[in-house]
Order: sequence, then C-alpha cells, then structure tokens
Amino acid sequence: MGRKPFVTGKAMTCSLGDSLEGIVEAVRHQRLKLEQLPFTLSGLPYTRPYYLIRRNEKDQLENRSEAYFYEVLFSTVSRALDDAGVSDAEIRDMPLFFGSTSMDVPVFEGKHRRRSSSVSELFLQASNGYGKIAGAVMDRFGMEGNTYSFITACTSSSNAVLYAASMIEERCIERALVVGYDLYNNLGFYGFEGLKSIASSEYRPFDRARDGLILGEACGAVVLEGQNRKDSDFMCLGGANLCDTYSVTSHDEEGAAVAETMNRALMQAGIDPGEICAVKAHATGTENNDRTECAAMRLVFGHRIPPVTCVKPFIGHTVGACGVSELILLTESIKAGFIPATPGFREKDEALNLTPLTENRQTGEGIFMLNYFGFGGNCTTLILSNRGDGG
Amino acid sequence: MRGMYIHSFSAYTGEPNVDVEWLKAEISRYTRVNFRRGNRFILLALLGACQCIHERSIEADTGVYLTTEHGNLGETAAVLDEIYTARSLPKPYGFINTMSGTAAFYLAQTLGSRGRNITVSSQHLSFERGLELLKLDFAGGAERSALIGGVDEASLSGENTGQENHRGWRMADGSGWFYVKPEREGACGSFIANRSFRDAPSCIDWIRKRGGPPLDLLSFGALVGEDEAAALKAALRPAAVFDYLRDGGYSGSATACGVGRFMGHFQGRSLLHINRDRRGNYAVLEVERY
Repeated sequence: MGRKPFVTGKAMTCSLGDSLEGIVEAVRHQRLKLEQLPFTLSGLPYTRPYYLIRRNEKDQLENRSEAYFYEVLFSTVSRALDDAGVSDAEIRDMPLFFGSTSMDVPVFEGKHRRRSSSVSELFLQASNGYGKIAGAVMDRFGMEGNTYSFITACTSSSNAVLYAASMIEERCIERALVVGYDLYNNLGFYGFEGLKSIASSEYRPFDRARDGLILGEACGAVVLEGQNRKDSDFMCLGGANLCDTYSVTSHDEEGAAVAETMNRALMQAGIDPGEICAVKAHATGTENNDRTECAAMRLVFGHRIPPVTCVKPFIGHTVGACGVSELILLTESIKAGFIPATPGFREKDEALNLTPLTENRQTGEGIFMLNYFGFGGNCTTLILSNRGDGG
Repeated sequence: MRGMYIHSFSAYTGEPNVDVEWLKAEISRYTRVNFRRGNRFILLALLGACQCIHERSIEADTGVYLTTEHGNLGETAAVLDEIYTARSLPKPYGFINTMSGTAAFYLAQTLGSRGRNITVSSQHLSFERGLELLKLDFAGGAERSALIGGVDEASLSGENTGQENHRGWRMADGSGWFYVKPEREGACGSFIANRSFRDAPSCIDWIRKRGGPPLDLLSFGALVGEDEAAALKAALRPAAVFDYLRDGGYSGSATACGVGRFMGHFQGRSLLHINRDRRGNYAVLEVERY
C-alpha cells in the first residue's frame, strides 16, 4: 500500500494579501476586496467586479510587466518552500506540478502595453510553450526534477495536486512543489464577459439571486511530502478526475458525471460519504454549475449533505489557480478552527434546496471534500484529512 | 515500465496552415460527427486520434491524455486580435477553445469516453511526461485503457522562422496518437521503458551500461545536438538512425509523431528515442514493435 502525502508547506498571494494569517483573518471576518473594472478596449458603458491583487503600487494593472509576473510567482513559491522548511538538497530534487488557465498570456498583454506590435503577433513570435513558466521556477530555485504543466481550464492546479499526490503515494518521488497561478488578463476578463458569465456586483453562489461568477487572481503554492513535518499538516487521502462529455461549456445538470467523480475520489481515499465532515464546493455562482453541483452532491450524499462552504466570494474565481488557492484557503481556515461561511448568500434557491454555511462553523479534525470543475467537462475531486488517525 | 501496450497508433504530420476545411474532410473519413466549431488545434487532435482508433472499439472508460508544447496557438492569437484590434468581446466558442484542454474534451465526446481527461505540457518532453502520468494511472488502477497523443500546430515562434525551424527542419502540424492498455493481448507494440535523467552524464552512463539485445533504431529529439547525437550513436551502435524530424518535419509534438512513424513504417523491432529539454534534462523512451 502506498503512503499518503501531506501538505507541509503553503503560501498564497491573492486579493486578501500575501500573509496566510492575514488572509485567514480576512476570511474569518468576511473582509472582501472587490473592485469594479471597465472594459476600456471595447468601450462598453459598464464595469464588472474583479478581485485584484493589491499589495502596493507595483500591483497597479498599468504598471505590470514580465518582471512583475515572475515576482509574484517567485515570492509565493519562496514562502511555500520556507514554510515547509525543506533543505536546499530537497529543493534541488523536487519536481514541479504547475497549473494555470492563462499561462503567460498576462506577460504578452503586458508587453503589448509597451510596444506597438499587436499582442497576437507578440504571442505567436515569442511563445515558448506552456512549459516556460515551470522552467523559470526550476531555474530560479535550482530545482532539477521533472516539470508537468497542466492545462485543463479551471481544474488545472487541482489536477496538478492530484498527480503530485499520486506520484508520492506510488513512491515515484519524495516530495513535490505544486503551483496554481493565474493573473488578471484581458483574454479572460473579456472572454467571460463575452459568455455573459460575470456577475454584476456581488458573488452569491447557491443564492436564489446569483447572477454569475466574479474573476480573481491568485498564486498559490504548496509543498507535498511523503511524511508530515507538523502534526497539523493535512493529508491527501485521494482524488479523482473524470470527463463529463455532456458539453464543452457546461455540465450535465443531472450531475451524474460530477457525482461519479466524487464517488471515485471517495473510493480511492477508502472512505464512505458519511465520513466527509464538510464539502468545499466549486460553486462558481453560475446557473449551470450550481444546479449540477447540488444534484451531484444529492446523488452522493442523499439527504445528508455535509456542511457546504463556497470560498470563491473571498478571492474570486481564480480559474486555473483555484485548485491550490482554495485548498490553502480552506485548510488554513480549518487550522484556525473554522470552516468559512459563504459571503453573499442570503436567500435559498428552492430549486437547489441547499443552504451553504452562513456562519463560520467551528471545527477541529475531519475529512474534507474539495470539488473543482472546468470547461471541457473536466471534473476533479480531492479528499483531504487532518485527522490524527490518518483519515 | 510494465504494462504499457500499444494496441493502435497514428502519426499525422501535415503542411502548416492547411485549410481547416481540408482537415474536416479528412476527419469525416473516420467519423460522422460534425465538428463545426473545431479550430485547427482541435481538428488536428481529432484527426490523429480518429486515425489511431479507426474501426476499433474502445472501452467506455478510456482516458484521454493530450500532450502539447504550445496548445491552441492560432485560436488564442485570433481571440487576442478580437479584443485588441477589433476591440470587441470574443465570440464565446472562440474564447472557450483558447483553453487547450477543450481538444481533449471533444475527443472524449467523440469517443463517448468518460475516463480521465488530462492535457499536459513540459518543454520538449511533453509526450514523455504524459506517458509518466498514464503509467501512474495504470499502476493506481485509475485507468484501464487510454488514448495518449501529442498535438501541435506548426509554431513559428522564437528561433523558428519562415517555414523552417532553426535547425533547418521543415515546420509541420503534428498529431500522433496511441491506444494503450495494460494488457498485451492484441497489442502491436509496447512502451518498454521511459527513463528520466537530470543531466547528460547520467544519461550517457546509463546508455553505456545498457545491456539487452542489439538496438534496431535510434532517434533523437529536437534539442539533441549533432555532436551529442554522434557520440550517443557510437555508444549504442544501432542498426540505423531514424531521423523523423528530417523525414516528417518538426512540430512541438514531433516525438509522438516520430514514435508513431516508427510503429507504422519500419521493419525493425526496437526503437530508442533520446530527448532533452532546455534545462538539460534527458528522457529515454524505449519502444518495441511486435
């Protein structure tokens, strides 16, 4: 039997800052930092909300450059490695599992602001492939392991976690760095607006008045290892990935494929649905996602759905980065003694018949399910535990 | 690497910028599904995969593992132009299809497969890394059959200019696929081993110590230099060198196409493919043809 991997190091940069303590306190007290952004390029006469990273002047969108892109990435990775306390030799041997939706599109868009060339021309001439960002991390930190860059839309970094954990479990590797990273880019902001998916002002997943998602940017990094370093380290019990072939844009609202993903993850983790003490829902706040996810939870848990938390209203939908960033946000909140409430939820949708946590719930040890879904029918579920008996 | 048996394969390489209508017509030879919204990258993925599984029934839980260097280059550029030049919102399907994972989705949908669906990249070693993930899923029981392939549009980025790569290889669109199962029965070949090395010395050390039967064919990835290739050839003494980049052209997914061409065109039984990335990591893939 394989060993189970632990999350021994973590760091995050998001709209709530770059200090884990600060982020957890903001979550505990629901201090959100939401801004309205215009569609300047297309001259639309309205704005849409966005969760931007705002640490200092450098974070201003108009100031951003390639150097900025890598500064956010490297500083987050550096803090995660420090948090784990890995040695230089351990870092050198590490592989990197990287997940992102936009990859380096923000870099090309930033260069475009400084040159007259068209951004598509810059992109076609200068693109060195999806693996470039992972390669830059390896160079910066002297890492010599293999790199794997996942491109599965909003499940990108959750799949990175899934495979890093599997490789540790199968003893292919001792430890791994897993990074989820997506910065603001016009391709995503204008693209989601083109889909009419962006909420007008407030993030309200599962609420009767929900009207879409709100994008956010984040860099999350975790170190996974075959042994824990602290008693409080979370263990990855298992996970699963499946493709819902219903539609490229949406999932089958009967929830069968999503439920099957959850069931396979439970089976792989070796636990029963009744052992799950809370679910972190993907909860994008779109009609289709929330209907599908509720139907799937009902198929898996019957009428005993565990407490459900939706963390996107804190940092936005960070697309490919959400796998790692929401994992960190949830596990750090639990370590601080609570499962986060869902900001923005006010009125139950009778069609969904599900009320997520509306107040922070005190918690200690338990087993938690984390769900992630994406365009292209991609469904990923992770099962994490901080129970002393290993789950 | 036990239990990575090749049950069918394909190796499509084509001229850059071939009309997408031609790609659609080619695909229609293999499937009745109409891909109205497919862009070049998606169509390349579908064409190669459909060629691979033509007239073969595949299992319902078959996973799809798409490896790529650049992904959806053309569609991403087109959508950036919509935003920056036309100053409009992108068309919905154009935007969604910038996410390269959608190609693997359309493939799974066409096959009616509800297995894992992974798109992965790793500079110049994408196909080898994809095989590692598949091996892991076979070992852990997550998959019992899979389609794994490498797909790339001809990239004219970086060192690649005109219609040629900086090494003089003709640029090509590429889509090479393999239907792989852990069972040998009915297989036409296998991925025997897929080894990774952190540097040239450790790779060469392994090659020098390598035993086993004589090697029929040796091939090299795009970043293996000519002098290095000559030294490796001298150490391995293969019956022949298979220069698939010269023969089939260069794309980001040339490895998958090269191995597919070996499976389809050569009489030899064994291929050793040596590849490297920009950081000097090496990957050695051993393939056997039955």
